[in-house]
Amino acid sequence: MSVAITPALVNRLHQAIGSENVLTAHSELIVFECDGFTIEKNCPDVVVFPQTAAQVSAVVKLCNEFDVPFLPRGAGTSLAGGCLPVGGGVMIVLTRMREILEINLRDRYAVVEPGVVNVWLTNALKGTGFHYAPDPSSQGACTIGGNVATNSGGPHTLKYGVTVNHVLGVEAVLADGRIVEFGGPSEDAPGLDLVGALVGSEGTLAIVTKVWCRLTRNPQGVRTMLGIFDSVDDATTTISEIIGAGIVPAALEMMDQGIVQAVEEAFHFGFPLDAEAVLLIEVDGLEAGLDLQRERIVELCKQCGAREVRLAADAKERQKLWKCRKQAFGAIGRLSPSYCTQDGVVPRTQLPHILRRIRAICAAHDVRVVNVFHAGDGNIHPIILFDERDAAQIKRVLAASSEILDECLACGGSVTGEHGIGVEKIAFMRKMFTPSDLAAMERLRAAFNPHNRLSPDKLLPTAGACGHEVKKPMRRAAV
Amino acid sequence: MATSVSSSLPTTHSVTPASQAELVAEVRAAYDASTPIYPLGGGASLDYGLPAKQPGLGMELTGLQRVVDFPARDLTVTVEAGITMQALTDTLRVEGLRLPVDVPQAAQATLGGVIATAWSGPRRFGYGAIRDFVIGIIAVDGRGEVFHGGGRVVKNVAGYDFCKLLTGSLGTLGIIAQVTLKLRPLAEATQICVVPLAELASMDGLLDWLATSDVTPSAVEVFSGPLWREQLGHAPLAAALLLEGTTSEVTWMARTCAEELRKLASGSMRLIPSDDVSNDWQAFLEFPAAEAALSLKATMKPSCVARFLHGVSEVEPAASIQAHAASGIVYVKFPQFPPGGLSRAVVGNLRPLANECGGHLVVLSNPSGQEMTPQSVWGSLGGQLAVMQQVKQQFDPRNLLNPGRFVY
Ligand SMILES: Cc1cc2nc3c(=O)[nH]c(=O)nc-3n(C[C@H](O)[C@H](O)[C@H](O)COP(=O)(O)OP(=O)(O)OC[C@H]3O[C@@H](n4cnc5c(N)ncnc54)[C@H](O)[C@@H]3O)c2cc1C
Repeated sequence: MSVAITPALVNRLHQAIGSENVLTAHSELIVFECDGFTIEKNCPDVVVFPQTAAQVSAVVKLCNEFDVPFLPRGAGTSLAGGCLPVGGGVMIVLTRMREILEINLRDRYAVVEPGVVNVWLTNALKGTGFHYAPDPSSQGACTIGGNVATNSGGPHTLKYGVTVNHVLGVEAVLADGRIVEFGGPSEDAPGLDLVGALVGSEGTLAIVTKVWCRLTRNPQGVRTMLGIFDSVDDATTTISEIIGAGIVPAALEMMDQGIVQAVEEAFHFGFPLDAEAVLLIEVDGLEAGLDLQRERIVELCKQCGAREVRLAADAKERQKLWKCRKQAFGAIGRLSPSYCTQDGVVPRTQLPHILRRIRAICAAHDVRVVNVFHAGDGNIHPIILFDERDAAQIKRVLAASSEILDECLACGGSVTGEHGIGVEKIAFMRKMFTPSDLAAMERLRAAFNPHNRLSPDKLLPTAGACGHEVKKPMRRAAV
Repeated sequence: MATSVSSSLPTTHSVTPASQAELVAEVRAAYDASTPIYPLGGGASLDYGLPAKQPGLGMELTGLQRVVDFPARDLTVTVEAGITMQALTDTLRVEGLRLPVDVPQAAQATLGGVIATAWSGPRRFGYGAIRDFVIGIIAVDGRGEVFHGGGRVVKNVAGYDFCKLLTGSLGTLGIIAQVTLKLRPLAEATQICVVPLAELASMDGLLDWLATSDVTPSAVEVFSGPLWREQLGHAPLAAALLLEGTTSEVTWMARTCAEELRKLASGSMRLIPSDDVSNDWQAFLEFPAAEAALSLKATMKPSCVARFLHGVSEVEPAASIQAHAASGIVYVKFPQFPPGGLSRAVVGNLRPLANECGGHLVVLSNPSGQEMTPQSVWGSLGGQLAVMQQVKQQFDPRNLLNPGRFVY
């Protein structure tokens, strides 16, 4: 709690959207004090559950009238603290806007409300021959509104592109309460590409109330392979060899021994426990080309020292492999009471280097690390294990994490491939961007959000303050 | 070593900065003097947008054409924005890579110009539009401040996405100086399957087929009208499916098209083999830039393309058309300026039709210069326009970058 929420504002919120859609009791607010980034917590003063864009607009207008900060929230699975109500205020939770409004296969789009969970759309499309391509590992929980706000990726976004490549338009409530449509069911709307600017803006430019999602035709066939390696180096070299050969698989994921052991214990897939790394490789497309693609990949794996390359026998085995991959984070609890993960990106040819550096950095700081990540994109997720009761260890974990991200930047990469800056990585913005880059970003925010009441203190370092300083790592899931 | 661009823009003189630093200095000087600036690429689409009126400085970008970094094995390239599309294509081809975005006049058109106009050719159906390939960008805003967005890796969500914001901004928020692109491997094989069609209904049938067939063409072009006489033979319209992939994939697709589309075709289908593809394909790339008394671009739901084409034929039976049909994008060329002017043909007729079809219509070029207003050229942008104006105000407070040409 931090801003003065007057009874008058609460009253007006009740009138605007119905008292059953407004929470103010501390006991009810407490679940909204953080998202998947649990290191910093702050309760919103009020939580509202609007059911229409008009209601979102009414709430936003009231917040402006009463000069109170406000922010949107979907399912709260964000890993960067995008849903942290800095300074308190009104949290606008969109999970009651949960209709799939239209599915148009012939024109290859669907229109959904922001609270629709990613997998609901996948399920609604089953049997149609089409799918919605962005498939974050959290797809069973996260909302499409949240995906749009964070520009989510997933294993299959390697070939098909991330969320921004699949959003044709949005309806949004602006920071002053106006409801505006950007883009729509057709391509190339005239004027600035503000759809492109809104996707990935982490809820700091507008609140998305409707999304036109592009639908993708299902591939005719798939081949899913499991490459088994005796060394991490061989596995990472294989990844850069595959990409370097101009092959862009549908998905290319890596799990190292630590993760494989945890996953095996949890799901009993039959992974070899003595292998240092496995690659999960999937190619899809026309049947006429698949076996050739598969052969080329198997050959590259072998050339790089793979012990064995297994082919998923059938759809069932394929599903099980993907389940293991997508729920890998759930299995980490078996390894350690706490862990923290990073989301850096490096050019794909730098993967062998960065994995070696991760190992060296973690050894130097005497912390244990395991890896499971979107290898084909160069998007690493080193997971550092620790015990949060050990203060000295926590310090080492933070130092190691930060060194790893610095190394990603030194390789010409980024500190976040899909989780976003949120509050967690604000301090890195000055390392990635020049003062004039950041000034330009502030100008864009000012154009949309001039009073900065919409999700303040996110994404951009504030003038004066040195951004956000992380004091302890977070126990949480990641991709 | 810049070639001077013959420009329809009211430039009093031109400069050709040879480095980003020189570009910044020129923009700062222009800002101090409040001189309008017209960024010039290869001059391939200078009549795009509204005719500019204020005299100003021509900023030729052709002096910025270096390949900055080409880590081919990462499937990315960083280049200065003044590089021509042809030079870029040639550079990439050496490593077996490409940017699958086709543009007319590739020898002239610069990458920066293509990005500024968000030009995306027929292959967008298969691979995406230019916006999907820009992963890093450096630009100079209307005050001469350099800013960059994105980076050099294919996945990156740090900060606001200036790559998207600048793509299609017609140089009105910043002059694009350098770009990093995500690349694709060249296709091993390419063929074109040409399907003559008797009527618009057959085109709809073809699009229906596309929604259920396993064939995955990279482009689906539908064409009709006098400018296509040579390619059409006796058919009133035809479709060309671009088939790309490995040899076995293309062979399979060609055979499947032949089987599955036979019933829809009004005459014999033609298969253009790999060796001859580039010549035939060229026509599909150049059409949007062909001279005409009036050129329009309409976007819509693909299921409405037939209805829209019918509407066009009622306004001008001799219009020539190319549609990226599966993407719902239609280019229309008028042989003569419509007698009722833009107000009847465009504002009163075809634009409302495009709107009803879930889309938009813009005037691409109108050599007559008649009736060119923001409303007639771009149409109504509704509530978005005010937001676009706010963004413009932030990046170019003195309205010096391409003033009067875009939507605001
Ligand atoms: C186990 C696990 C696995 C994950 N795997 C992946 C993965 O593979 N790929 C990936 O990209 N991410 C992954 N994530 C991160 C997270 O799931 C995504 O960022 C997701 O898109 C967040 O959706 P959400 O509905 O939970 O949004 P929230 O967490 O509620 O919100 C995220 C951000 O979006 C804003 N926001 C939410 N809704 C709206 C709206 N309607 N309009 C405007 N702004 C809005 C919020 O203010 C916040 O800044 C994972 C997380 C977990 C816990």
